[in-house]
Amino acid sequence: MRTAVRFRRVLLGLALALVAAFLLGVAVGAVWVTPWSTIRLVGWKLGLVDRPEDVARSAEVIVFQLRLPRVLLAAIVGAALAASGTVFQGLFRNALADPAIIGVSSGAALGAVLVIVTIGAGSLGAFGVPLAAFCGAMATAILVYRLARIGPTVHVATLLLAGIAVAAVISSVMSLVMSFSGEEIRNIYAWLLGGLVAQGWRSIATVLPVVAVGLAGATLVSRELNLVALGEERAAQLGVEVDRLKRRAIAVGALLAAGAVSVAGVIGFVGLMTPHLLRLVIGADHRRLLPAAVLGGAILLILADLAARTIIAPSELPVGVVTALLGGPFFLFLLRREGRRAGARG
Amino acid sequence: MRPTRTRAGLLPAVLLLLAAACADAGPSVSPSGGGPSSPAGSAAAFPVTVTDDDGVTVTIQAEPERIVTFAPSATEIVFALGLGERLVGVSGPFDDFPPEARRVAEVGGAGDFGVDPNIEQVVSLQPDLFLTIKGGDQWKERLRDLGVPVVTLDATDLDDLLEDIRTVGRITGATEGAESLANQMQAEAQGIADALAGRPAVTCFYETFYPPLYTVGPGTFIYDLLERAGCDPVTAPADQQYPEWSVEDLVRQSPEVYLVSSESGSSPRAVAKRAGFQAVSAVAAGRVVPVNADLVERPGPRVLAGLRLLAEALHPDVLV
Repeated sequence: MRTAVRFRRVLLGLALALVAAFLLGVAVGAVWVTPWSTIRLVGWKLGLVDRPEDVARSAEVIVFQLRLPRVLLAAIVGAALAASGTVFQGLFRNALADPAIIGVSSGAALGAVLVIVTIGAGSLGAFGVPLAAFCGAMATAILVYRLARIGPTVHVATLLLAGIAVAAVISSVMSLVMSFSGEEIRNIYAWLLGGLVAQGWRSIATVLPVVAVGLAGATLVSRELNLVALGEERAAQLGVEVDRLKRRAIAVGALLAAGAVSVAGVIGFVGLMTPHLLRLVIGADHRRLLPAAVLGGAILLILADLAARTIIAPSELPVGVVTALLGGPFFLFLLRREGRRAGARG
Repeated sequence: MRPTRTRAGLLPAVLLLLAAACADAGPSVSPSGGGPSSPAGSAAAFPVTVTDDDGVTVTIQAEPERIVTFAPSATEIVFALGLGERLVGVSGPFDDFPPEARRVAEVGGAGDFGVDPNIEQVVSLQPDLFLTIKGGDQWKERLRDLGVPVVTLDATDLDDLLEDIRTVGRITGATEGAESLANQMQAEAQGIADALAGRPAVTCFYETFYPPLYTVGPGTFIYDLLERAGCDPVTAPADQQYPEWSVEDLVRQSPEVYLVSSESGSSPRAVAKRAGFQAVSAVAAGRVVPVNADLVERPGPRVLAGLRLLAEALHPDVLV
């Protein structure tokens, strides 16, 4: 039971850290709004106090219309990416699986871009782009899985190669689509670069249901992912319908990645780092890893975005640059360690 | 281009180069063959040697008869100097002014981002002058190696542009035409400056793209026009030329006039609907003004019309 105690402590710690990151994200930005002003503004919105007279209207707009939705969106997208990474890492039984690295995010992006180019971003309603992103992500995940799998296992090298190859093809197709897109190219750029800046509360309304469904699905597959960790044959012996599980897990991982990509573009490494670090702390049980990764991913992306919008304020950095700067070296470290392990195994 | 966010830093460059780019790289039939025509200016002494804005020293041996312009601004300058007949190649569909420019062969659309010239096609046109803007050092080097005289123009403010126009005049033998065009533009600019004299500058913001929000910083041609039009851009502290800008900061600074480039793809109505933008003075006061990017963002002969447009948007009560 010691691991259970430890898990609860870690989860509590993560929850507190998330609250702290959230508060920090709302309190700090390109423009300085004093914490006292922010607190009173929030109190006023909650109906606890009168509108603080000495706080500028611009501060109110900055806190409620710009920062709050952005921090929430970062939390949701970070959680989705980390959960997606957890599911893919479990499915592939490979710690280097990340929706961006294995090409699933690119697939989602391509799906979204195709819809934007062919029928326009808004024509299918709010869920048109996420739906298209989901189809692209799903197709890519299946393809990469088929390519990467040799016999019963997915090796690091084949997974990375398959991911890189598929991502390269997708990237070429994307360039091709953009070459022929004419005026729509502006919408594509806006979408690819828009990231967490773009839509405020509207993005949250779009992405929240998608991610909620994805997280529910991830919770449902997490027990069976544990059994798959023992090997597919063992899992089958233990009563897991392995093929059905794989289809479900791919769908869940793709849905989560698609939700994230459809509102924030491709953001790498959150899905790689978060589950991996937490696995070191609380072990590989997916029923524990998943909620921890959800919290951890939210924290990570809130902080990465905070850095992106403050480091060179009032200019901004794309948040993907920050996550790549953190995650790139981490990825290389993992790759090296995996290589050593493989070497040790002979 | 890969859809990774890490490439985002390229956006300003890509957007700018879009103006010089086109998807349609295929050779098109050109009726303006570029045979010898009478010089538009006085007979200047050739060879002419200039140091261009890349710092490269170029010698033009004889009066150019076959000119390729690889930037809409350069195309406009060449036409304004009466040398349109000698144009044998332009960059692409963005070279749309004057309308005759659309009939000239397009040489753009090559390279990783589709913003480089097709070297083979340029060489096949046998140009004796290749006029372009900043960027593309590698293909410029290749063209020089192949014997094409490449001259780079990079106007960072209006005075610089007038100097560039005179330079184009010198290297094309259209010295007098260039001189009179530059003087005329100078006089117009002075007229606008006089009309605005004593008027306090209004704060403004110039949107080049959204989302994310991109703008212009000091050291750009557009920024110079804004200042000349009586604006005090809230992006003065920017240390990049085309920075991504924080909406928070925009709301805090709350500029009086919000200018939307036609290249941004947004409309004033769309601007007003964005999260938080209602708190910007310009939006609340209905002073969101669409700007024809061709007149403001192309350092060419039409920028005075652009300057007038900006001045009218910023100071509607001053007749300029």
